[in-house]
Amino acid sequence: MTDLMIALLTAFAVWTGWRVFRVDSMVRASFALMLSFVAVGAIGVLLSAPYIGVATVFMMAVEMMVMAIFMVMFMMNPAGLNPMVMVHQHRLSIGAGIVAFIGLSAAVLLSPLPSNPVAADTDVVAQLGHELLGPSMLIFETAGVTLLATMVGAVILSSRQGRFGSADEGSRPPGLTEGGDPAGRQPEGGGGHGHHHHEGH
Amino acid sequence: MTALLTLAVLATLLGGTLFAVALDRAYLPLLALFTRQRVETEAPDRLNRDLAPAWYLALAAIGIAVVPFAPDLALIDSPVGIVIWGSCEALIVLTVFLHGWSPNAPFPLIGAYRYAAIGLPVMLPSMFVLIAAALPAESLSLVAIVDSQREVWNVIRQPLGLPLFMVVALAMTLRGPMDYADAADIATGTSAEDSGAGRAVWQIARLAMLVSVSAIAATVFLGGPLGPVLPGPVWLWLKTGALMALTVWIGNRVARTTPSRMLTILWVVLLPLSFLHLLISGLIAL
Repeated sequence: MTDLMIALLTAFAVWTGWRVFRVDSMVRASFALMLSFVAVGAIGVLLSAPYIGVATVFMMAVEMMVMAIFMVMFMMNPAGLNPMVMVHQHRLSIGAGIVAFIGLSAAVLLSPLPSNPVAADTDVVAQLGHELLGPSMLIFETAGVTLLATMVGAVILSSRQGRFGSADEGSRPPGLTEGGDPAGRQPEGGGGHGHHHHEGH
Repeated sequence: MTALLTLAVLATLLGGTLFAVALDRAYLPLLALFTRQRVETEAPDRLNRDLAPAWYLALAAIGIAVVPFAPDLALIDSPVGIVIWGSCEALIVLTVFLHGWSPNAPFPLIGAYRYAAIGLPVMLPSMFVLIAAALPAESLSLVAIVDSQREVWNVIRQPLGLPLFMVVALAMTLRGPMDYADAADIATGTSAEDSGAGRAVWQIARLAMLVSVSAIAATVFLGGPLGPVLPGPVWLWLKTGALMALTVWIGNRVARTTPSRMLTILWVVLLPLSFLHLLISGLIAL
Protein backbone atom coordinates (compact mmCIF):
# COMPACT_ATOMS: atom_id res chain seq x y z
CA MET A 1 0.00 0.00 0.00
CA THR A 2 2.75 2.44 1.04
CA ASP A 3 4.77 1.38 -2.02
CA LEU A 4 1.84 2.11 -4.32
CA MET A 5 1.26 5.51 -2.69
CA ILE A 6 4.93 6.40 -3.05
CA ALA A 7 4.89 5.34 -6.72
CA LEU A 8 1.80 7.47 -7.41
CA LEU A 9 3.20 10.47 -5.54
CA THR A 10 6.49 10.15 -7.41
CA ALA A 11 4.66 10.07 -10.73
CA PHE A 12 2.65 13.15 -9.67
CA ALA A 13 5.84 14.96 -8.58
CA VAL A 14 7.50 14.23 -11.94
CA TRP A 15 4.41 15.23 -13.92
CA THR A 16 3.93 18.55 -12.07
CA GLY A 17 7.67 19.17 -12.34
CA TRP A 18 7.38 18.72 -16.10
CA ARG A 19 4.35 21.06 -16.15
CA VAL A 20 6.54 23.84 -14.68
CA PHE A 21 8.24 24.15 -18.06
CA ARG A 22 5.18 23.60 -20.22
CA VAL A 23 2.71 26.10 -18.70
CA ASP A 24 2.73 29.64 -20.05
CA SER A 25 2.66 31.81 -16.94
CA MET A 26 4.88 32.52 -13.96
CA VAL A 27 2.09 31.95 -11.44
CA ARG A 28 1.14 28.59 -12.93
CA ALA A 29 4.82 27.55 -13.07
CA SER A 30 5.39 28.50 -9.39
CA PHE A 31 2.38 26.58 -8.18
CA ALA A 32 3.08 23.54 -10.38
CA LEU A 33 6.52 23.45 -8.77
CA MET A 34 4.85 23.73 -5.37
CA LEU A 35 2.59 20.74 -6.15
CA SER A 36 5.69 18.77 -7.09
CA PHE A 37 7.27 19.58 -3.72
CA VAL A 38 4.01 18.80 -1.89
CA ALA A 39 4.11 15.31 -3.41
CA VAL A 40 7.74 14.95 -2.26
CA GLY A 41 6.67 16.12 1.22
CA ALA A 42 3.93 13.48 1.29
CA ILE A 43 6.53 10.83 0.38
CA GLY A 44 8.58 12.11 3.33
CA VAL A 45 5.59 11.58 5.63
CA LEU A 46 5.14 8.05 4.28
CA LEU A 47 8.83 7.35 4.90
CA SER A 48 8.38 8.11 8.65
CA ALA A 49 9.86 11.60 8.42
CA PRO A 50 6.71 13.52 9.44
CA TYR A 51 8.41 16.76 10.40
CA ILE A 52 10.50 17.03 7.24
CA GLY A 53 7.52 16.04 5.08
CA VAL A 54 5.00 18.47 6.57
CA ALA A 55 7.57 21.25 6.90
CA THR A 56 8.35 20.81 3.17
CA VAL A 57 4.69 21.51 2.36
CA PHE A 58 4.69 24.52 4.68
CA MET A 59 7.97 25.98 3.41
CA MET A 60 7.14 25.41 -0.25
CA ALA A 61 3.69 27.00 0.06
CA VAL A 62 5.19 30.18 1.54
CA GLU A 63 8.19 30.12 -0.76
CA MET A 64 6.24 29.66 -3.98
CA MET A 65 3.82 32.41 -2.95
CA VAL A 66 6.80 34.75 -2.48
CA MET A 67 8.38 33.48 -5.70
CA ALA A 68 5.20 34.08 -7.72
CA ILE A 69 4.97 37.63 -6.36
CA PHE A 70 8.65 38.38 -7.05
CA MET A 71 8.63 36.85 -10.53
CA VAL A 72 5.52 38.75 -11.49
CA MET A 73 7.02 41.90 -9.94
CA PHE A 74 10.17 41.75 -12.07
CA MET A 75 8.49 40.53 -15.26
CA MET A 76 6.90 42.55 -18.05
CA ASN A 77 3.70 40.59 -17.58
CA PRO A 78 2.20 41.98 -14.40
CA ALA A 79 -0.76 39.69 -13.94
CA GLY A 80 1.02 36.53 -15.04
CA LEU A 81 -2.01 35.50 -17.07
CA ASN A 82 -0.67 36.55 -20.48
CA PRO A 83 1.03 33.66 -22.27
CA MET A 84 4.82 33.60 -22.28
CA VAL A 85 7.50 31.04 -23.09
CA MET A 86 8.98 29.52 -19.94
CA VAL A 87 12.12 27.93 -21.42
CA HIS A 88 15.31 29.50 -22.73
CA GLN A 89 18.99 28.58 -23.28
CA HIS A 90 17.87 25.21 -24.68
CA ARG A 91 21.28 23.60 -25.25
CA LEU A 92 22.70 24.58 -21.87
CA SER A 93 19.58 23.47 -19.99
CA ILE A 94 19.38 20.13 -21.80
CA GLY A 95 23.06 19.52 -21.01
CA ALA A 96 22.64 20.54 -17.38
CA GLY A 97 19.54 18.35 -17.11
CA ILE A 98 21.33 15.27 -18.45
CA VAL A 99 24.35 15.82 -16.18
CA ALA A 100 22.11 16.30 -13.12
CA PHE A 101 20.07 13.19 -13.99
CA ILE A 102 23.17 11.01 -14.43
CA GLY A 103 24.74 12.42 -11.26
CA LEU A 104 21.67 11.87 -9.10
CA SER A 105 21.00 8.41 -10.57
CA ALA A 106 24.60 7.43 -9.89
CA ALA A 107 24.26 8.71 -6.31
CA VAL A 108 21.11 6.64 -5.80
CA LEU A 109 22.54 3.48 -7.37
CA LEU A 110 26.04 3.65 -5.91
CA SER A 111 25.47 4.82 -2.34
CA PRO A 112 24.56 2.14 0.22
CA LEU A 113 20.95 2.89 1.23
CA PRO A 114 19.86 1.70 4.69
CA SER A 115 16.99 -0.78 4.68
CA ASN A 116 16.22 -1.12 8.38
CA PRO A 117 12.64 0.06 8.99
CA VAL A 118 12.10 2.54 11.81
CA ALA A 119 10.30 1.03 14.80
CA ALA A 120 6.75 2.42 15.15
CA ASP A 121 7.37 3.91 18.61
CA THR A 122 10.59 5.75 17.69
CA ASP A 123 10.44 9.46 18.51
CA VAL A 124 11.74 10.56 15.11
CA VAL A 125 10.84 14.24 15.52
CA ALA A 126 12.77 14.56 18.78
CA GLN A 127 15.74 12.71 17.23
CA LEU A 128 15.73 15.13 14.30
CA GLY A 129 15.64 18.08 16.72
CA HIS A 130 18.62 16.75 18.69
CA GLU A 131 20.51 16.18 15.43
CA LEU A 132 19.78 19.68 14.08
CA LEU A 133 20.68 21.46 17.31
CA GLY A 134 23.51 19.09 18.18
CA PRO A 135 26.06 17.64 15.73
CA SER A 136 24.59 19.46 12.69
CA MET A 137 24.18 22.81 14.42
CA LEU A 138 27.03 24.55 12.56
CA ILE A 139 25.68 23.61 9.10
CA PHE A 140 22.13 24.40 10.14
CA GLU A 141 22.95 27.81 11.61
CA THR A 142 25.31 28.74 8.75
CA ALA A 143 22.55 28.04 6.24
CA GLY A 144 20.08 30.00 8.36
CA VAL A 145 22.27 33.09 8.69
CA THR A 146 23.17 32.97 4.98
CA LEU A 147 19.48 32.86 4.04
CA LEU A 148 18.73 35.73 6.41
CA ALA A 149 21.52 37.83 4.87
CA THR A 150 20.15 37.04 1.40
CA MET A 151 16.68 38.11 2.42
CA VAL A 152 17.90 41.38 3.94
CA GLY A 153 19.93 42.01 0.78
CA ALA A 154 16.96 41.29 -1.50
CA VAL A 155 14.74 43.64 0.49
CA ILE A 156 17.35 46.42 0.39
CA LEU A 157 17.94 45.96 -3.36
CA SER A 158 14.23 46.03 -4.16
CA SER A 159 13.47 48.98 -1.89
CA ARG A 160 12.51 52.20 -3.58
CA GLN A 161 13.81 54.41 -0.79
CA GLY A 162 17.53 54.76 -0.42
CA ARG A 163 20.25 56.94 1.08
CA PHE A 164 20.67 58.77 -2.25
CA GLY A 165 16.99 59.26 -3.06
CA SER A 166 14.42 57.25 -4.94
CA ALA A 167 15.73 54.15 -6.74
CA ASP A 168 13.63 54.89 -9.83
CA GLU A 169 14.68 58.55 -10.14
CA GLY A 170 15.41 59.32 -13.77
CA SER A 171 14.73 55.76 -14.89
CA ARG A 172 12.68 55.17 -18.03
CA PRO A 173 10.72 52.03 -18.88
CA PRO A 174 11.83 50.13 -22.01
CA GLY A 175 10.10 50.81 -25.32
CA LEU A 176 6.98 48.96 -26.33
CA THR A 177 8.55 48.27 -29.74
CA GLU A 178 12.24 47.98 -30.63
CA GLY A 179 13.70 51.50 -30.36
CA GLY A 180 10.21 52.94 -29.80
CA ASP A 181 8.87 55.33 -27.20
CA PRO A 182 9.10 54.26 -23.56
CA ALA A 183 6.04 52.58 -22.11
CA GLY A 184 4.03 54.23 -19.36
CA ARG A 185 3.36 57.88 -18.61
CA GLN A 186 5.48 60.48 -20.38
CA PRO A 187 7.14 63.06 -18.11
CA GLU A 188 5.61 66.50 -18.63
CA GLY A 189 7.78 69.34 -19.92
CA GLY A 190 9.06 72.11 -17.59
CA GLY A 191 9.92 70.21 -14.43
CA GLY A 192 6.49 68.66 -13.93
CA HIS A 193 6.44 68.33 -10.16
CA GLY A 194 5.66 72.00 -9.43
CA HIS A 195 1.99 71.45 -8.68
CA HIS A 196 2.34 68.32 -6.53
CA HIS A 197 2.40 70.13 -3.20
CA HIS A 198 1.20 67.11 -1.24
CA GLU A 199 4.32 65.05 -1.99
CA GLY A 200 6.16 66.73 0.90
CA HIS A 201 9.94 66.33 0.82
CA MET B 1 -13.60 4.07 16.05
CA THR B 2 -11.94 5.92 13.17
CA ALA B 3 -15.24 5.97 11.27
CA LEU B 4 -17.03 7.36 14.31
CA LEU B 5 -14.35 10.02 14.78
CA THR B 6 -14.51 10.96 11.09
CA LEU B 7 -18.26 11.37 11.45
CA ALA B 8 -17.79 13.52 14.56
CA VAL B 9 -15.25 15.74 12.77
CA LEU B 10 -17.53 16.20 9.75
CA ALA B 11 -20.57 16.84 11.98
CA THR B 12 -18.58 19.44 13.93
CA LEU B 13 -17.52 21.17 10.72
CA LEU B 14 -21.09 21.16 9.39
CA GLY B 15 -22.71 22.22 12.67
CA GLY B 16 -20.06 24.86 13.23
CA THR B 17 -20.56 26.23 9.72
CA LEU B 18 -24.31 26.50 10.34
CA PHE B 19 -23.53 28.33 13.61
CA ALA B 20 -21.21 30.65 11.69
CA VAL B 21 -23.96 31.29 9.13
CA ALA B 22 -26.25 32.22 12.03
CA LEU B 23 -23.57 34.51 13.53
CA ASP B 24 -23.21 36.26 10.17
CA ARG B 25 -27.01 36.20 9.52
CA ALA B 26 -26.24 34.91 6.01
CA TYR B 27 -28.85 32.14 5.47
CA LEU B 28 -30.93 33.79 2.74
CA PRO B 29 -28.12 35.41 0.72
CA LEU B 30 -26.25 32.07 0.62
CA LEU B 31 -29.30 30.04 -0.42
CA ALA B 32 -30.22 32.58 -3.10
CA LEU B 33 -26.76 32.27 -4.68
CA PHE B 34 -27.27 28.61 -5.59
CA THR B 35 -30.15 29.52 -7.89
CA ARG B 36 -28.27 32.25 -9.77
CA GLN B 37 -26.58 31.56 -13.06
CA ARG B 38 -22.83 31.87 -13.48
CA VAL B 39 -21.23 34.91 -15.08
CA GLU B 40 -18.04 34.35 -17.06
CA THR B 41 -14.99 36.60 -17.17
CA GLU B 42 -12.74 36.90 -20.23
CA ALA B 43 -10.01 34.22 -20.46
CA PRO B 44 -10.06 32.99 -16.84
CA ASP B 45 -7.90 30.21 -15.43
CA ARG B 46 -10.84 27.77 -15.22
CA LEU B 47 -9.09 25.08 -13.19
CA ASN B 48 -8.11 27.38 -10.35
CA ARG B 49 -11.29 29.44 -10.47
CA ASP B 50 -13.43 26.32 -10.04
CA LEU B 51 -11.15 24.59 -7.53
CA ALA B 52 -10.19 27.49 -5.21
CA PRO B 53 -13.43 27.24 -3.11
CA ALA B 54 -12.97 23.46 -2.87
CA TRP B 55 -9.36 23.87 -1.69
CA TYR B 56 -10.40 26.43 0.91
CA LEU B 57 -13.05 24.00 2.18
CA ALA B 58 -10.57 21.09 2.12
CA LEU B 59 -8.04 23.10 4.16
CA ALA B 60 -10.76 23.83 6.74
CA ALA B 61 -11.48 20.08 6.90
CA ILE B 62 -7.77 19.19 7.33
CA GLY B 63 -7.46 21.87 10.02
CA ILE B 64 -10.27 20.45 12.12
CA ALA B 65 -9.09 16.87 11.54
CA VAL B 66 -5.91 17.47 13.59
CA VAL B 67 -7.88 18.85 16.57
CA PRO B 68 -8.14 16.39 19.50
CA PHE B 69 -11.81 15.68 20.35
CA ALA B 70 -10.93 13.96 23.62
CA PRO B 71 -7.73 14.39 25.69
CA ASP B 72 -5.89 11.69 23.71
CA LEU B 73 -8.01 11.24 20.61
CA ALA B 74 -7.57 13.07 17.29
CA LEU B 75 -8.53 11.93 13.80
CA ILE B 76 -5.07 12.79 12.46
CA ASP B 77 -2.99 12.08 15.56
CA SER B 78 0.28 13.30 14.10
CA PRO B 79 3.45 13.97 16.13
CA VAL B 80 3.62 17.26 14.16
CA GLY B 81 -0.06 18.26 14.30
CA ILE B 82 0.70 21.91 14.82
CA VAL B 83 2.97 21.99 11.75
CA ILE B 84 0.13 20.46 9.70
CA TRP B 85 -2.04 23.39 10.77
CA GLY B 86 0.83 25.75 9.88
CA SER B 87 0.91 24.23 6.38
CA CYS B 88 -2.84 24.75 6.12
CA GLU B 89 -2.36 28.44 6.97
CA ALA B 90 0.32 28.84 4.30
CA LEU B 91 -1.88 27.07 1.74
CA ILE B 92 -4.84 29.30 2.67
CA VAL B 93 -2.84 32.38 1.62
CA LEU B 94 -2.07 30.63 -1.64
CA THR B 95 -5.67 29.53 -2.20
CA VAL B 96 -7.03 33.03 -1.63
CA PHE B 97 -4.37 34.38 -4.01
CA LEU B 98 -5.34 31.86 -6.70
CA HIS B 99 -9.02 32.63 -6.14
CA GLY B 100 -8.31 36.27 -6.92
CA TRP B 101 -5.80 35.61 -9.68
CA SER B 102 -7.83 33.08 -11.67
CA PRO B 103 -10.79 35.19 -12.90
CA ASN B 104 -8.40 37.47 -14.87
CA ALA B 105 -10.12 40.64 -13.69
CA PRO B 106 -8.84 43.80 -11.94
CA PHE B 107 -10.61 43.83 -8.56
CA PRO B 108 -10.01 40.15 -7.76
CA LEU B 109 -6.35 40.57 -8.71
CA ILE B 110 -5.95 43.62 -6.46
CA GLY B 111 -7.54 41.62 -3.64
CA ALA B 112 -5.21 38.68 -4.35
CA TYR B 113 -2.03 40.76 -4.18
CA ARG B 114 -3.18 42.73 -1.16
CA TYR B 115 -3.96 39.50 0.64
CA ALA B 116 -0.64 37.88 -0.29
CA ALA B 117 1.23 40.96 0.98
CA ILE B 118 -0.69 40.90 4.29
CA GLY B 119 -0.94 37.11 4.59
CA LEU B 120 2.80 36.40 4.45
CA PRO B 121 3.74 38.63 7.45
CA VAL B 122 0.70 37.25 9.32
CA MET B 123 2.27 33.78 9.01
CA LEU B 124 5.27 34.83 11.11
CA PRO B 125 3.51 35.80 14.39
CA SER B 126 1.30 32.75 13.85
CA MET B 127 4.30 30.42 13.76
CA PHE B 128 5.94 32.00 16.82
CA VAL B 129 2.69 31.83 18.78
CA LEU B 130 2.17 28.17 17.88
CA ILE B 131 5.79 27.26 18.64
CA ALA B 132 5.46 29.04 22.00
CA ALA B 133 2.44 26.85 22.77
CA ALA B 134 4.48 23.77 21.90
CA LEU B 135 7.24 24.71 24.39
CA PRO B 136 5.51 23.70 27.67
CA ALA B 137 4.26 20.51 25.98
CA GLU B 138 7.79 19.74 24.66
CA SER B 139 6.04 18.37 21.58
CA LEU B 140 4.57 19.54 18.27
CA SER B 141 1.61 17.19 18.72
CA LEU B 142 -1.72 18.85 19.49
CA VAL B 143 -2.64 15.95 21.79
CA ALA B 144 0.49 16.67 23.85
CA ILE B 145 -0.30 20.40 23.83
CA VAL B 146 -3.77 19.68 25.23
CA ASP B 147 -2.20 17.38 27.80
CA SER B 148 0.23 20.12 28.91
CA GLN B 149 -2.73 22.36 29.81
CA ARG B 150 -4.20 20.10 32.49
CA GLU B 151 -2.93 22.38 35.30
CA VAL B 152 -3.29 25.77 33.65
CA TRP B 153 -4.49 26.79 30.19
CA ASN B 154 -2.08 28.43 27.77
CA VAL B 155 -4.31 31.51 27.60
CA ILE B 156 -3.23 32.29 31.21
CA ARG B 157 0.32 30.95 30.99
CA GLN B 158 1.01 32.76 27.68
CA PRO B 159 -1.27 35.83 27.79
CA LEU B 160 -0.12 37.32 24.46
CA GLY B 161 -0.79 34.11 22.55
CA LEU B 162 -4.54 34.23 22.02
CA PRO B 163 -4.73 37.95 21.10
CA LEU B 164 -1.97 37.46 18.50
CA PHE B 165 -3.67 34.33 17.18
CA MET B 166 -6.97 36.21 16.83
CA VAL B 167 -5.25 38.42 14.26
CA VAL B 168 -4.31 35.26 12.38
CA ALA B 169 -7.88 33.94 12.69
CA LEU B 170 -9.28 37.16 11.22
CA ALA B 171 -6.78 36.97 8.34
CA MET B 172 -7.46 33.28 7.63
CA THR B 173 -11.24 33.81 7.53
CA LEU B 174 -11.01 37.11 5.57
CA ARG B 175 -12.81 39.11 8.22
CA GLY B 176 -13.07 42.69 9.45
CA PRO B 177 -9.74 44.43 10.08
CA MET B 178 -7.73 41.68 8.30
CA ASP B 179 -9.99 41.30 5.27
CA TYR B 180 -7.71 42.60 2.54
CA ALA B 181 -8.90 39.97 0.03
CA ASP B 182 -12.70 40.23 -0.13
CA ALA B 183 -13.30 43.70 1.31
CA ALA B 184 -16.05 46.07 0.24
CA ASP B 185 -13.57 48.85 -0.62
CA ILE B 186 -12.47 46.89 -3.72
CA ALA B 187 -15.94 45.61 -4.62
CA THR B 188 -15.51 42.35 -2.61
CA GLY B 189 -12.05 41.76 -4.10
CA THR B 190 -11.23 38.16 -4.95
CA SER B 191 -14.93 37.24 -5.07
CA ALA B 192 -15.94 40.26 -7.16
CA GLU B 193 -16.35 38.12 -10.29
CA ASP B 194 -17.74 35.06 -8.46
CA SER B 195 -21.34 34.16 -9.14
CA GLY B 196 -23.85 31.41 -8.55
CA ALA B 197 -22.87 28.23 -6.76
CA GLY B 198 -19.13 29.00 -6.94
CA ARG B 199 -19.68 32.18 -4.95
CA ALA B 200 -21.85 30.34 -2.42
CA VAL B 201 -19.22 27.61 -1.91
CA TRP B 202 -16.49 30.23 -1.39
CA GLN B 203 -18.60 31.97 1.27
CA ILE B 204 -19.40 28.64 2.93
CA ALA B 205 -15.71 27.75 2.92
CA ARG B 206 -14.94 31.05 4.67
CA LEU B 207 -17.43 30.14 7.39
CA ALA B 208 -16.09 26.56 7.65
CA MET B 209 -12.60 28.01 8.04
CA LEU B 210 -13.89 30.08 10.96
CA VAL B 211 -14.84 26.80 12.67
CA SER B 212 -11.41 25.22 12.04
CA VAL B 213 -9.30 28.18 13.09
CA SER B 214 -11.44 28.64 16.23
CA ALA B 215 -11.14 24.93 17.07
CA ILE B 216 -7.36 25.18 16.73
CA ALA B 217 -7.30 28.28 18.94
CA ALA B 218 -9.52 26.54 21.49
CA THR B 219 -7.15 23.54 21.49
CA VAL B 220 -3.93 25.51 21.72
CA PHE B 221 -5.00 28.19 24.20
CA LEU B 222 -8.16 27.05 26.01
CA GLY B 223 -7.28 23.41 26.73
CA GLY B 224 -9.47 22.01 23.93
CA PRO B 225 -11.52 19.06 25.23
CA LEU B 226 -10.35 19.51 28.86
CA GLY B 227 -13.00 20.48 31.41
CA PRO B 228 -15.04 19.14 34.33
CA VAL B 229 -18.34 17.16 34.24
CA LEU B 230 -19.17 17.44 30.52
CA PRO B 231 -17.53 15.07 28.00
CA GLY B 232 -14.51 16.27 25.98
CA PRO B 233 -16.19 17.00 22.62
CA VAL B 234 -18.83 19.18 24.32
CA TRP B 235 -16.13 21.32 25.96
CA LEU B 236 -14.39 21.61 22.59
CA TRP B 237 -17.65 22.70 20.92
CA LEU B 238 -18.39 25.27 23.64
CA LYS B 239 -14.91 26.78 23.49
CA THR B 240 -14.86 26.76 19.68
CA GLY B 241 -18.31 28.40 19.55
CA ALA B 242 -17.23 31.10 22.00
CA LEU B 243 -14.10 31.88 19.98
CA MET B 244 -16.14 31.94 16.73
CA ALA B 245 -18.52 34.48 18.27
CA LEU B 246 -15.55 36.53 19.53
CA THR B 247 -13.93 36.49 16.07
CA VAL B 248 -17.16 37.57 14.38
CA TRP B 249 -17.67 40.29 17.00
CA ILE B 250 -14.12 41.68 16.57
CA GLY B 251 -14.54 41.46 12.80
CA ASN B 252 -17.68 43.57 12.97
CA ARG B 253 -16.33 46.05 15.53
CA VAL B 254 -12.79 46.88 14.48
CA ALA B 255 -12.16 49.10 11.47
CA ARG B 256 -9.79 48.13 8.68
CA THR B 257 -6.82 50.37 7.99
CA THR B 258 -4.94 50.85 4.71
CA PRO B 259 -2.81 47.87 3.58
CA SER B 260 0.44 49.86 3.86
CA ARG B 261 -0.30 50.88 7.44
CA MET B 262 -1.33 47.31 8.30
CA LEU B 263 1.97 46.07 6.85
CA THR B 264 3.83 48.47 9.17
CA ILE B 265 1.76 47.27 12.12
CA LEU B 266 2.46 43.62 11.24
CA TRP B 267 6.22 43.97 10.73
CA VAL B 268 7.01 46.65 13.32
CA VAL B 269 4.57 45.88 16.14
CA LEU B 270 3.14 42.36 15.93
CA LEU B 271 6.31 40.55 14.82
CA PRO B 272 8.53 41.91 17.66
CA LEU B 273 5.61 41.31 20.04
CA SER B 274 5.50 37.67 18.98
CA PHE B 275 9.29 37.40 19.48
CA LEU B 276 8.80 38.77 22.98
CA HIS B 277 5.96 36.31 23.53
CA LEU B 278 8.16 33.41 22.44
CA LEU B 279 10.97 34.58 24.74
CA ILE B 280 8.68 34.93 27.77
CA SER B 281 6.97 31.60 27.07
CA GLY B 282 10.35 29.91 26.66
CA LEU B 283 11.66 31.31 29.95
CA ILE B 284 8.49 30.23 31.78
CA ALA B 285 8.63 26.75 30.21
CA LEU B 286 12.23 26.34 31.43
